[in-house]
Amino acid sequence: MNRKIIHCDADCFFAAIEMRDDPSLRHLPMAVGGHSDRRGVISTCNYAAREYGVHSAMASAHALRLCPDLVIVPGNMDKYRDAAQVMRDIFHDYTDLVEPLSLDEAFLDVSACEQHHGSATLIAQEIRQRIFDSIQITVSAGVANCKFLAKIASDWRKPDGLFVVHPNEAAEFVKTLPVKKLNGVGKVTANKLHTLNIHTCGDILQWTLLELNQHFGSFGKRLYELARGIDTRPVKPNRIRKSLSVEHTYPNDLPNLLSCKNQLPDLLVELRRRVSKLDDKYRVSKAFVKVKFNDFSSTTLERVGTAARISDYQQMLEQALERSQLPVRLLGIGVRFFNIDADDAPTQLELFPNVPP
Amino acid sequence: MKFTVAREAILKPLQLVAGVVERRHTLAILANVLIVVDDNQLSITGTDLEVEIVGKIPLEEGAVSGEVTVPAKKFLDICRALPDGAVINFSLDEQKVTVKSARSRFSLSTLPPSEFPSVEGGDNDLSFSCAQREIKRLIEKTSFAMAQQDVRYYLNGMLWEARNGELRVVATDGHRLAMCTRPINLELAENRQSILPRKGVIELSRLMEDSDELVEIVLGANHIRALTKSYLFTSKLVDGNFPDYQRVLPVGGDKEIIGDREVLRHAFTRTAILSNEKYRGVRIMVDENLLTIVANNPEQEEAEEKVEVEYDGEPLEVGFNVSYLMDVTSVIDTDKIKITLSDSNSSALIEQTGDSDSAYVVMPMRL
Repeated sequence: MNRKIIHCDADCFFAAIEMRDDPSLRHLPMAVGGHSDRRGVISTCNYAAREYGVHSAMASAHALRLCPDLVIVPGNMDKYRDAAQVMRDIFHDYTDLVEPLSLDEAFLDVSACEQHHGSATLIAQEIRQRIFDSIQITVSAGVANCKFLAKIASDWRKPDGLFVVHPNEAAEFVKTLPVKKLNGVGKVTANKLHTLNIHTCGDILQWTLLELNQHFGSFGKRLYELARGIDTRPVKPNRIRKSLSVEHTYPNDLPNLLSCKNQLPDLLVELRRRVSKLDDKYRVSKAFVKVKFNDFSSTTLERVGTAARISDYQQMLEQALERSQLPVRLLGIGVRFFNIDADDAPTQLELFPNVPP
Repeated sequence: MKFTVAREAILKPLQLVAGVVERRHTLAILANVLIVVDDNQLSITGTDLEVEIVGKIPLEEGAVSGEVTVPAKKFLDICRALPDGAVINFSLDEQKVTVKSARSRFSLSTLPPSEFPSVEGGDNDLSFSCAQREIKRLIEKTSFAMAQQDVRYYLNGMLWEARNGELRVVATDGHRLAMCTRPINLELAENRQSILPRKGVIELSRLMEDSDELVEIVLGANHIRALTKSYLFTSKLVDGNFPDYQRVLPVGGDKEIIGDREVLRHAFTRTAILSNEKYRGVRIMVDENLLTIVANNPEQEEAEEKVEVEYDGEPLEVGFNVSYLMDVTSVIDTDKIKITLSDSNSSALIEQTGDSDSAYVVMPMRL
């Protein structure tokens, strides 16, 4: 199946936030970081400063030598964290499959996303617009059918850019890429590749998997695949769902059990739709209902070992409504999932455990 | 050069030779086969620089000697597409080859034979002869367990261990292992190991007939050769150390199960349908004279098979990749098989009952 992956990356994130809050900085070379007299380092700088050769992780004193007019402002982590949270909430409006790489950078798998008829390009454009509208910073995005291409694409039109690698153009696009663009190819590997006369991904295509394995060990397989635009790594949301629920606040209170039960089918359809979009590894362990009465008191009820059928919810609802005679303003139903962790997956034992693959 | 040959005489050798020719390659001439006529004998050679096969076909009197290379696939397709019983005239004029048969005529491009690479034979330290069916059996019983594109490149092949009076072959992908040993006329003071590459193994087994016809095997330091009446096969050997297979052959397993091979094979095949598509795990539970196979998948579906077996040990539950069990139960050719287990973390030994030339080891899966 063709996946749709978006990589979003805020443009000089910390610096952008500071420029937003003090527009006078906008046209100066500026950086966020520690002061040079306290052995500070640059954490982010704007594009004007980059023209002087200033970059992140550089000692502030060194940066000031390169660019004597550089304005260094201290960082404000709380502010950045708030902005990052806004970005993340926007991401989660489109998919649960959000893999944050840092505060301001994330992969999104929007393959199952229904907005914009599933167009990842339009979704990426809207995400960029919404982030700009809500926190006034620009975000660059890359769209491709795998993670590594999406990440390269987001860098392609930076800043404030969107670049799409269409699946049928991916192979051609990859061919022209210098090898050092590949994730995992640093200085040492790049030099090694250059001595083998490999400069672009196109050059890698001339090598067989076995030859690459012999030169680069297990990284050979990765090179072989990346050069062909193959990257099957899934977008791994690091937040694991413990439960999923849907609820509705009714414009008119529901007066009795029957009127509550009548609402169950609609809620259940929505719940099932959302559960079906989750990863297969989620398995339902419990079902629950939530009832809020018109005096704002609420009660919940859970049941284990159920298949979350409508009859389970009907019975739970009956019990929940026995707890109060008041009309109901909100109804919710949901499921809890078994605790999943990676150790759960079956492992094939090795014949030669001392000869690692 | 010029020769005439019956379609039926050239087709099979040409197919086998063209089999080693890779579809995609960097050297243009590797897409060609070398055709040599000398002393009324036709030789056709194909190579991928690792494996080389020469097919030899006797010709009628009057063939004109010479050599040339032509595109392998096109030449094969032409011969294949001609009707049964066709007689093929092959002639070289300047740099063009003309293939004629009845009212069909084809003109093929050529490349100079001097550019055709040959795989060096090298030294021949050890040679022996045996019936082709022995080599065929050794490969057929074990080749399924070879690794494919494993980074441990020496597993992408088959170990040939020449022993005193026998030849043993071993293939493993690190999760399961297959071993077969056949008596061969060999006198050796100590065992000698060579690793054949995967492709060489597969091509060699195609050349071997299920017959008493002899094959002469020559093992060098870097090459293996196999000579028959009609073929000369050469393959580079894999330079590497095969893991110590003796160490992983289970000893002391005390839980012996004897069951009907076909019944078990079918039961594995059916439970596999509802096993996890990615991991293929199934649970095997043995109790007195009963073996139960259970498969589950993430969709919460379940398959269960109960098979009557001979077993009188302690109850035991072990997980396995069902594909490995299907492979072994397909390749064994006796009615009954014997499975020896010790505990749920140790390998299973699967053999045919009675006298056995083969043994299969499968590591369990922790489910």
